[in-house]
Amino acid sequence: TGGHTTEILRLLSCLSESYSPRHYVLADSDKMSEAKIRSFEQKRAETYSKSQFTLDRIPRSREVRQSWISSVVTTLYSILYSLPLTYKRKPDLILCNGPGTCVPVCLSAFLLGLLRIKRTIIVYVESICRVETLSLSGKILYYFSDYFIVQWPDLKKKYPKSVYLGRIV
Amino acid sequence: FRFKDSLAEDLQRADLVISHAGAGSCLETLEKGKPLIVVINDKLMDNHQLELAKQLHRDGYVLYCNCSTLVETLQSMDLSALKPFPPGQPEKFASFLDKVFGLQ
Repeated sequence: TGGHTTEILRLLSCLSESYSPRHYVLADSDKMSEAKIRSFEQKRAETYSKSQFTLDRIPRSREVRQSWISSVVTTLYSILYSLPLTYKRKPDLILCNGPGTCVPVCLSAFLLGLLRIKRTIIVYVESICRVETLSLSGKILYYFSDYFIVQWPDLKKKYPKSVYLGRIV
Repeated sequence: FRFKDSLAEDLQRADLVISHAGAGSCLETLEKGKPLIVVINDKLMDNHQLELAKQLHRDGYVLYCNCSTLVETLQSMDLSALKPFPPGQPEKFASFLDKVFGLQ
């Protein structure tokens, strides 16, 4: 969604073509991100002609301020929905920065790793908006990610297993 | 106006921006190098949205007030005391990932 998409595209901006093909996963209710992504990829293709990407949509796992019990149910549904997608793409790396959409995708990849089907490295970058507290996605994925990146020093202190690189967006 | 696709043009022409504490608004404004006063609406905001505004203020990048103190802030503000906002460094992230994958 919106701010998250802008941030993640900035994170991608300096990556080499080793990080290709790129598979974007969006919430089905997200209208604006697709345009931003296509625009980014179009510019990228001007420099790297062999550049490839795909776009998939999954049901949104949680509405803002949805009760946590119903969130568990909708998130479980989203994990089941994401499993075939993650299995099909078998990514080497999952990069995410916090929208609810990323939790089921990461958890499905984590599951595929446990089942020894595909080992995916999960890198989570907490949004720049998070200075003192983690988002709910962050609180969950802190335990499931291989690298958890925060952008402010307070969070590094509170979450010692995290990585602090300063502001990266 | 109610909603525009992009405020970039208006931002470019502005000398001073007064905004709510939304992260996108704050960062977009600071990146264009415009002085910014962030107005907090205590009743509307949930805590996490304030975090970034507060930190930006602590670091000296923005001025900060609430609806009732806005006029006073405008009268007594010293915009030259605001520090220029350094851009983020996505290249550090790229470097980090390259190390993780042994690409360096």
